[in-house]
Amino acid sequence: MRSMTCRMSELLPAYAAGSLADADRDRVRAHLADCARCPADLAAWQAIAAAVSPAHQRAPEPAQLVRAVLTRSALDAGPTDFEPGPRPFRQPWYLAALVLAEARLIRLAVPVASALVMALGVAVVLIPGATGGAGSAVYPGTVAGDLLALIAPIVAAAGVAGAYRSRRDPAAELVAATPTSGRLLLLVRLTLVLGYDLVLAVAASAVLAATAAGTAAGLNALIGAWLGPMALLSSLSLLVAVRFGPDIALGTAVGVWALRILAGGVFAGDGWPARLVVQAWSTNVAVLAVSVAFAIAAVIAAGRSGPFAGEPNNGWRATHPM
Amino acid sequence: MARTEPGSDAALLRSVAAGDATSLARLYQRHAAPLFGYLYRLAGDRMIAEEILQDTMVAVWRSAAAFEGRSKVSTWLFGIARRQAHNRLRGRAFPVTIADLPDRPDQAAGPEELAIAASGGTPVAAAIDRLPDHHRDVVALVFVAGLPLADVAEVLSIPVGTVKSRLHHARAALAAALVAEGVCE
Repeated sequence: MRSMTCRMSELLPAYAAGSLADADRDRVRAHLADCARCPADLAAWQAIAAAVSPAHQRAPEPAQLVRAVLTRSALDAGPTDFEPGPRPFRQPWYLAALVLAEARLIRLAVPVASALVMALGVAVVLIPGATGGAGSAVYPGTVAGDLLALIAPIVAAAGVAGAYRSRRDPAAELVAATPTSGRLLLLVRLTLVLGYDLVLAVAASAVLAATAAGTAAGLNALIGAWLGPMALLSSLSLLVAVRFGPDIALGTAVGVWALRILAGGVFAGDGWPARLVVQAWSTNVAVLAVSVAFAIAAVIAAGRSGPFAGEPNNGWRATHPM
Repeated sequence: MARTEPGSDAALLRSVAAGDATSLARLYQRHAAPLFGYLYRLAGDRMIAEEILQDTMVAVWRSAAAFEGRSKVSTWLFGIARRQAHNRLRGRAFPVTIADLPDRPDQAAGPEELAIAASGGTPVAAAIDRLPDHHRDVVALVFVAGLPLADVAEVLSIPVGTVKSRLHHARAALAAALVAEGVCE
């Protein structure tokens, strides 16, 4: 009968569990002797206590457990302690480290060759008579602009073609295995290569503008001669490199650029195709916009090409399906 | 708690916070049996219980400095153990818990016998394994961990009255289960 339950029965579970303080335990013990109901109640609690006690299970040895705890604590101290919350200074440092690491991966031959070709171009303009006597003395400004427009775009396009992981890259396999996304690496490398080529071309323009050869044209006109074509050819080269690989990209860039030169020189005419070609290879808003669109498309494609994200779709891979 | 007696749980924990592994071993040794028994009861498997025990002691080792002395060390310890058990057992399929045992129709003996064998051989133990989680937790903390009811209330963050009512609820459910199985009467 629950209604007859006495106040002592409150203490019976703890009594059965052995967790009562001494004074209470003695009170319960005394009470059990004269209560009609409590002993049966206690027996039920004791049955439960006996049933749940894992008597045959010995706890692990302290020495062994502490050794395991210390090992584990040493092994995974970092992640569990620092995982929650943003890492405030990670981004700038991380990017700087990434740029440095990528800069070390670019083969020395690429920047050296670019600089040599550019220097050669400047030299050709500056050395009297080197341009066949037709230009340098009479129209120095035009020759300087034409030469820069001829050299700067193809130098940049060649550099960009090689910027997307080529099989000649000694670190390609390592890079492909890092958790950093292929897109981010591509962007970093592009920034490095294009930035370097831009600096080269601007420096060449400045040298020419400062000397007699460029006085007729001025620095802005010289930069305008190559900026648009450089952007268009590089972005086209990048898009092809991402989709078909660096070799095809380089070939495409050279081929397209040859067509442009031929259209401007050998096949020069007043027909609309020639005018269109010249328009397409000059510095204006439309050309720059198309270049930006090409570049964005290339970066997007770099992230989703094939099941091994970030790798060229065809041929050689750094990761192999088993 | 401004001062702690030398050799007390709180003093040991302070040494643990200072990086003393021997104190961690001594602290564990004091509570090993109830602590492991409690985790074994929750996990129902020795290997898993040992893993949770390790999780618990790793957490103690790392956060000993965070102990503020507002509760007993044992309460704090079981609170951590319970949380670690919860983390590790969360995704696991528990044995079917039946909230309203008295209404349960009689079942064939096959699975019952298996459950009884799995839980240490007694029908009472098998019935306890089928209790809802929050009831089983109270039973384990009271009878296996051997914590006073007030400490159980603190570990579970519930009033003492609720601890008592859950205990009686668990007992009633057990009795009903045993009657249904024809073990008693």
